[in-house]
Amino acid sequence: MNPAAIDARALMAIRSLELRARAVVEGFWTGIHRSPYHGFSVEFTEYRQYAPGDDPRHIDWRVVARSDRTYIKKFEDETNLRCHLVLDRSRSMEFGTAGHTKAAYAATFAATLALFLQQQGDAVGLLSFDDVVREFIPARNRPGHLSHLLQAIEQPVPGRATNLGVAIERAAHLLRQRGMVVLISDFLAPVPELERPLSHLAALGHDIAAVQFLDPAELTLSFKQAANFVDLESGGSLHVDPDAARAGYQQRLREHQESLRALFGRVGATWHPLATNAPLGPVLQDFVQARQRRGRASARRAQPASPR
Amino acid sequence: MSFLAPLFLMGAAAIAAPILFHLIRRTTREVVAFPSLRFLQASPPRITRRSRLENLVLLALRCLALALVALAFARPYLQRPTPPANPDGTASRTLVLIDTSASMRRSGVWAEAVGKAAAQVRNAGPNDQVSIVAFDRAPRTVLSFGQWIETPANGRVAVALDALGKLSPSWFATALGPALVRAADEINEGDTPPGSMRRRIVLVSDMQEGARLDPLQSFEWPRNVEVLTDPVRPSRAGNAGLQWLPDPPDADRAAEPTVRVRVVNSPDARGERFKVAWAAQDAGPFLTTPLDVYVPPGQSRVVTLGSPTNSPGADRIVLTGDDETFDNVVHVLPPQPVEVRVAYIGADAQGEAREPLFFLRRALPESRRQTAKVVAFAPASAPSAEAVGAARLVVVTAAVPDATADALRAAAEKGGTVVFAPGNAAAGPTLSRLVGRAGLGLSEERPPSHALLAALDFRHPLLAPFNDPRFSDFTRIHWWRYRRVSGELPPTAKVVARFDTGDPAWIDFPMGRGRVVFLASSWSVADSQFALSSKFIPWLFGLLDLAGAGLEVAAHPRVGDALALPEGRTASLAVRQPDGVVVQVGPEVARWEVTMPGTYRVGDAVRVGVNMDPAEGRTAPLPPDRLESVGVRMDAGVSSQAAEVTRPKGVPPAAEAEGRQKWWRWLIVGALAVLVLESLVAGIQARRRPSASDPTSASASPSEPNPTPVAA
Repeated sequence: MNPAAIDARALMAIRSLELRARAVVEGFWTGIHRSPYHGFSVEFTEYRQYAPGDDPRHIDWRVVARSDRTYIKKFEDETNLRCHLVLDRSRSMEFGTAGHTKAAYAATFAATLALFLQQQGDAVGLLSFDDVVREFIPARNRPGHLSHLLQAIEQPVPGRATNLGVAIERAAHLLRQRGMVVLISDFLAPVPELERPLSHLAALGHDIAAVQFLDPAELTLSFKQAANFVDLESGGSLHVDPDAARAGYQQRLREHQESLRALFGRVGATWHPLATNAPLGPVLQDFVQARQRRGRASARRAQPASPR
Repeated sequence: MSFLAPLFLMGAAAIAAPILFHLIRRTTREVVAFPSLRFLQASPPRITRRSRLENLVLLALRCLALALVALAFARPYLQRPTPPANPDGTASRTLVLIDTSASMRRSGVWAEAVGKAAAQVRNAGPNDQVSIVAFDRAPRTVLSFGQWIETPANGRVAVALDALGKLSPSWFATALGPALVRAADEINEGDTPPGSMRRRIVLVSDMQEGARLDPLQSFEWPRNVEVLTDPVRPSRAGNAGLQWLPDPPDADRAAEPTVRVRVVNSPDARGERFKVAWAAQDAGPFLTTPLDVYVPPGQSRVVTLGSPTNSPGADRIVLTGDDETFDNVVHVLPPQPVEVRVAYIGADAQGEAREPLFFLRRALPESRRQTAKVVAFAPASAPSAEAVGAARLVVVTAAVPDATADALRAAAEKGGTVVFAPGNAAAGPTLSRLVGRAGLGLSEERPPSHALLAALDFRHPLLAPFNDPRFSDFTRIHWWRYRRVSGELPPTAKVVARFDTGDPAWIDFPMGRGRVVFLASSWSVADSQFALSSKFIPWLFGLLDLAGAGLEVAAHPRVGDALALPEGRTASLAVRQPDGVVVQVGPEVARWEVTMPGTYRVGDAVRVGVNMDPAEGRTAPLPPDRLESVGVRMDAGVSSQAAEVTRPKGVPPAAEAEGRQKWWRWLIVGALAVLVLESLVAGIQARRRPSASDPTSASASPSEPNPTPVAA
């Protein structure tokens, strides 16, 4: 079985965040058809046995001739990619009906991404927030940094209300060097409030990726009985009959998502709306592939005759 | 089935509440944590058909519980119909026993009693036999069975009603026991075979607590006679009454004379504030300033009233503040000082402070209760027979002529008391004549130092005041000399005390209706220390009591008692009754029965206050099982009617029936059981529901109940 396709519930049953991240990344390395970023590397690092999906261009034919085995030649990337994960730790992320909360799923995603980028040799940093910025770990690439990062991600944070705008604004102040910024949140905030800080962040030259995690129940309002719905952040209460409210809810959610899509399109960010019951491997794969496509497109636009 | 509080049945409308709640989708209790309410809109609870179908059992149980509670609060009961007089249609022999005691004078009671008795008479069938017996202190037949049978059938009712119409309540007490015994005897008299007729005594009475039941205790009630009580109640419940109380035995004789009355308030009374004061006939409500008395229901207070000094006409004490006035008056004459006449025959020197007369005068001081009058005579100047007869006590300390001695003996035989305490032995013949026994002589004795009283008979009335170990020590009194009696004493003579020498000191000679008391040593200083001792005055008062000297409280007769009329009358005596009627009583009549409360005037001088029996004032209802407890067989229909008697004021028969049946308790128990069942059913249903739809299942579908948020 392909480890990357591990069921989300089974994956989240692994207690250690690092193990979870490694499980996903391992599957990802072996299961992806076209390994990303390899074109960016110039310095050979190791051989790896060919797996289906690997680019046949990287097969070392001389080794094949010598040993009749297919190996892939890997290269060390020497680029100065700085990636900052902006992680939402607010209370609304503490919701989950798929066996795990959005926060746990997002943490696993962040850890996996961090591990993946670390293994690639990129510098990874973390900025966690709720209504204020809670923790900031600048992007680095040195031994021990990853575990520090994973620790910070795993640490329970007594989250409060979300203030995504403030977090993005703060990130714009903190991240002076250009790099990649991955916003991990449920984005259940008024869209107009995000426009200005996002534009600011994009104007600084950051490559912005927004990953939105929503619970399946959130997407469909799959509740059966009427109940008092209590807002996790504000504490407000509302008596809602899901059957009656479902259509309106879905309509408004759809409009919100459309607004987000339009917003991220305007600021040149990629937007990845994801459900928390999906297997994390394919999710990460899709994310990376999307980044890859974007990277190629931008590279083609910038350097059409690049040797990569 | 009837209901004591039918309005509570409206509480059954509360059944609509659970039905409504069942129709409304009950999810408001459930709370779902949700990330953001931004996209949600509130929706009001709505009625669904599905929930109604789901919880039909629960709904039924809840409705049943509410219905049971509402039913319990409505206090249901079954009203048992009163059994008919002749359930089996056989002829009956009915004796109507109607109460005519003083308590029937209460408002509305007598009219109701006559009505009930008349109803019994009218209900009699052509083959039935009816007799009417009235009773108060004693039963008396108003209409016998014989008269009923002899009267033509169409005229019987009229005769009986006529006899009833002639009755009226008296002032006598209620002797219910003797009346029932007489009625039971009378109903079984005659030649009717015992089993042929139903025998019933219908008791028309107010069934008051003060009724006498004593003969019933020893009477075996006949098996074939049943008693049906038909109680009559006054239109106003509650009664307060006055009772005269005699002076306590330890009352201070020298103190201001007072009259004590007890104010009794019945347990069912409403009023508790009363006024008590002296009054007179036709002289307004009160003659003296009324005394405020507070008596809570069911209690009594003793009130002491002083003598009405400025109101000479006062002859009664009146209680106001009570609606039932029949027992609110006590006829009592204000206490008058009693005149005690003592005749003294002796040879004392005038003003001599060592002689008996000196001590006698000082021992009988004048007080507000008594005026003592000591008249002294010389032995030679014998007092007239009238003077001797008028004196309660005659004291002789010297030898008197034979004629005087004979007169004194005659007075003693008529009831007088003569004390013979000679100062020397020369009075021996006088003693012989006084006691009518020849051969008695006296000799002077002078003990070496002194004599003491040794053997005292404290059971004798003369020594009654000392019949207590605290007062019985006479050894401190020294007797210097005394007179020894020689000769044989009459057999009736009784030695009350002896000296330590063995000689009699005090001898009581009963003489006809009176007595002669011989003292071997007088109380003169030359004879003894007796006059100076603390024993002398109590002894003298004991002697006066023995002589009937009027220091005892005057008799207070009750209605029904017989007044003793003066003896030896030659002409008829006018007795004026309280109602103004004057009756001339012939000389042959010795006692006159009083029949009403009030002041009787016998002759010109004597006034006597006559009062009702205090038991008649106890008008609280007799306990319903009281008659049964003394063996009377009660009719089957008695239970509800007996309950009627004792039912507190304001408690209707429905409440009584409900109070006995107490169905509400079982209804409440039933409601509790239903609620327990409801909890069980609800618990089972609640347990089934989550197991059927696990919210944490990964494949939660929209058709299942709410998925439970994990960490929220």
